[in-house]
Amino acid sequence: MFTKPVHTRLLYAAILIAALALPWYVPDAYIFQIVTMSLIFAIAVSAMNLIIGFTGQASLAHGAFFGIGAYGVAIMTKAGISFWLALPAAALIAAFIGFFVGLPSLRTRGSYFAIVTLCFGVILWIVAGNWIELTGGHNGIFGIPRPSPIPVPVVGPIEFFTQTPLYYLALAALLLTIFVLRRLVFSVFGLSLMAVRNNEPLADAVGINPFATKLISFVIANFIAGLAGGMYAAIIGAVSPSAAGYMMTFNFLIYLILGGMATLSGPVVGAFAIPIIMEFMQFLGDFRMLIFGALLVFVIIYFPQGFVGGLRQLNQKVAAWRQQ
Amino acid sequence: MELFLQQVFNGIMFGSTYAIVALGLTLVMGILNIPNFAHGHLYMLGGYLLYYFGVTMGLGYWFGLIFSVICLGLVGVLMERFIYRPLNNQPHINAFIAAIGALLFLEALALVVWGPQGLRVPNPHPQIVHFLGMTIGIQRLLVIMGAVALIMALHLFMKKTIMGTTIEAVAQNREGAMLTGINVNRVSAMTFAISAATAAVAASLISPIFMLSPAMGAILGMKAFVIVILGGMGSIPGAILGGYILGLIEALGGGYISAAYKDVFAFGALILILSIKPTGLFGKREV
Amino acid sequence: MKSVKRFSLSLVFGLLAAVLMVSGAWAAEAVIGFTGPLSGPGSGYGRDNVNGLKMAVQDINAKGGIIIDGEKYTFKLETYDDMIDPTAAVNNARRMRSRAGARVIFNPVFNTIAPLMQVNEQPGSEFLLMAYSSTPKIDQMDNDLTASIPPPFTAYVKAFSDMAWEKGWRKAAMVVTLGAYGDEWRETFRHHWTELGGEITADKPANYYTDTDFSSQLSAALATDPDFLLIGGPSEPTGLVIEQARNLGFEGGFVLVDQAKMDYIANVVFDCDLSLMNNVIGIAQVLDVPSPVVKEFNKRYQEEFGVHNTFEAMLNYSALNIVFDAMQEAGTVEDPKAIKAAMAKVLPQSEENVPTPYLGTRETKLLVPATAGVIADGDYAEAYQYIWWPGDEKSFEKYKEMAPSGIETRWISLEGYNK
Repeated sequence: MFTKPVHTRLLYAAILIAALALPWYVPDAYIFQIVTMSLIFAIAVSAMNLIIGFTGQASLAHGAFFGIGAYGVAIMTKAGISFWLALPAAALIAAFIGFFVGLPSLRTRGSYFAIVTLCFGVILWIVAGNWIELTGGHNGIFGIPRPSPIPVPVVGPIEFFTQTPLYYLALAALLLTIFVLRRLVFSVFGLSLMAVRNNEPLADAVGINPFATKLISFVIANFIAGLAGGMYAAIIGAVSPSAAGYMMTFNFLIYLILGGMATLSGPVVGAFAIPIIMEFMQFLGDFRMLIFGALLVFVIIYFPQGFVGGLRQLNQKVAAWRQQ
Repeated sequence: MELFLQQVFNGIMFGSTYAIVALGLTLVMGILNIPNFAHGHLYMLGGYLLYYFGVTMGLGYWFGLIFSVICLGLVGVLMERFIYRPLNNQPHINAFIAAIGALLFLEALALVVWGPQGLRVPNPHPQIVHFLGMTIGIQRLLVIMGAVALIMALHLFMKKTIMGTTIEAVAQNREGAMLTGINVNRVSAMTFAISAATAAVAASLISPIFMLSPAMGAILGMKAFVIVILGGMGSIPGAILGGYILGLIEALGGGYISAAYKDVFAFGALILILSIKPTGLFGKREV
Repeated sequence: MKSVKRFSLSLVFGLLAAVLMVSGAWAAEAVIGFTGPLSGPGSGYGRDNVNGLKMAVQDINAKGGIIIDGEKYTFKLETYDDMIDPTAAVNNARRMRSRAGARVIFNPVFNTIAPLMQVNEQPGSEFLLMAYSSTPKIDQMDNDLTASIPPPFTAYVKAFSDMAWEKGWRKAAMVVTLGAYGDEWRETFRHHWTELGGEITADKPANYYTDTDFSSQLSAALATDPDFLLIGGPSEPTGLVIEQARNLGFEGGFVLVDQAKMDYIANVVFDCDLSLMNNVIGIAQVLDVPSPVVKEFNKRYQEEFGVHNTFEAMLNYSALNIVFDAMQEAGTVEDPKAIKAAMAKVLPQSEENVPTPYLGTRETKLLVPATAGVIADGDYAEAYQYIWWPGDEKSFEKYKEMAPSGIETRWISLEGYNK
């Protein structure tokens, strides 16, 4: 159940090599930008997958925690703290706040929990837009410095002023995230997450503490979201309340569901495919959102497991046929 | 003192709008268990349809309102049939995504058909009266009276007519209702039509006072959700009470404390209440 | 199995290929880029900006484009919607730069200008950022490839305050829009008005982008008995504010922040009826701009776009003309640094060519006079041209000569610009 068939593993290896070699064959700065951004979004969406896909709790505050990470790094690096310290610090702040948000809100279930987290998200967005001394209000914070160079003994320092090192930073972070999530999901803890998702009273009956499990999952998800947000701030160089807004959460949600919930590759696929499709649809002008909205409804009705889910079904059918 | 009364009047007027919109939403959420996040955008469409029938087609305000209500009711039926019914057996989150898709579609539709600039529906009752130091616009008074009339009409409908009691039966026990021969699908369609129609009424009452814009439903839709949860899903009294409470909090908080954080009060209140009573003020259902 | 592996691989690379195929052919003409809000709350503003650019491109192409070293260049405008989202704005800019070769890109909102300023100097993908934003912060940021188009709003704060003071108004209540721009305006105005000796009796901001009922803020503000209200945000809701204030019995004056345009309000919101707009101070109506081409520009604009002409359109039109002239002067359509450097040489513009002629540059800022007007007794009663950048009398006289005549020209000395 947990091992992948050979052809899938070969596919992953091929993608990894293609990703590592990207800066050599990427056609222009535009595509490079989109790919780097998608990597960041993939990290955030993978974290969202943990709490929504694997633990079954529809948290709609994810954009807010992404924003906390972004503002955290922005404020700290502008105050002179090194990016490498600011990033984990901002993520920890996101996790910390997540803990205190989770305590009251995880007592609610289903749609109630979704709405409470959404409200929290909106409150944070309004505060970010109005607390001028801290967040710069609606102007936001701009002129965020790039990550400070990493000294490397023989080769010389790695600097972050061009797109290539930023790309590798994002890629490394994504790989790390996937690795950590994989270990988490395939552990006993991961099983208890899914148990709580599938049938909470039953999980409770067999001795799992659902509240603690949900809370831990929530906090971890928000920590990772904070990390992604912090990197976003350093790469884009300016944060405004839109980075913490509900549209960000909705975008993440769309990437997650259309990519495939409760799979590890789903969020990555979604975070790449959807922005690319959206960019591709730019020529439609005003009609773009019209078609996107309709498409979204259509896809969710007929392909509810998302892209990866659908592929997986295909895979299983093929594997079964192969065994004959 | 006049200032306080004025703010209270404003609060009641807004509260009326919120109450009607929340009422429509709670019907759908409580009875059909559908989180129709696009409700705010249906409201927006109702306003634009009023403009279309009333101004563009020149039918005047009241006929514009009637046609808007009928049209939006039909839209509601279509929405239920083609978007939400196929998602009946899927997890809630998928219905949420579908709602987001519908919302994006409706907003883009308004933008493409009517353009980005704000549109005005001429105010049919621009007169003002002064009473106890308050300045009361007649149209604003109409909003409050319209809300009360609608609420009473809906109450009578739910309690006295067969269709109304059928809807309540489906709300209490869907399978049981099917067993007694009730056509649940028809009830779903009817409920959604009523929900959309009430949104159209709210939009039509308010539109002469304010401006139409494609984004006007977004925040309202979210607040409607807040009210529905606050009042308890499926509870009509809860939605009404919640609507008026929210309207008053916003008017008084916005006028006396800070307009910038006006929305924070609303959402903050919700979080507070849900921490104490996780199923809402009047809520009875465990989801 | 093999077919599935091929299928999966080809799916992934198919996606990559689709992306690569999106790359359009390199435009043969020179491309001018625009990214800004074309949907959502800021869309009217974005559209006004774009219309000005469209007209400028049409007009230059009608004249046969520009000629550099015997070769003719015509222009094409590419516009993208970014919905005031920084990620989208940067994506759009990169797209226009890499795909269409645009070396000059326009953007009208500070929240998206700031991230664009982080990438427009990157070697290999430089572009000249033409920023339409009146916040002075832009001119304080360190960027050699940015030019900011409109007068800083601080010039209007000073101009309007002086005009209000002249009328004997002393007590102000503020009901301005929320948002970065509104916050800054309120701060600056409060500072300036109290320095003059006036009083701020109330500060009740409102969200002009989402709300359309301002009764609670207006009631609170009017309860303090002000001589005038400082109001504004986008023009349409500002019109509603005026109407609602009058309905509440207010008979004092209004000062409009520079985002709100009094003629737009009068024509679009009140159907050309100025009766509610007595004693309004704000940016002058476009027809009061003194250049001889304004009337004809106005007519053409109205015919082509079907919407009211605004300063956003005119200033963008004039600024883009600076770009065309600079390209000609520098002899290149591809080197943004050279184009920027050549701008100073092609200024001042002639009032025969553009409706709002620019008179010079100062680092990032393009210098154009600020025009203010007053509506009184049912008509556009007064109009003034303010020159806000000279530091002394002599410098002012020099620029006064260059500026269009036919309007009373005044001088204000603005901190941060007065050299």
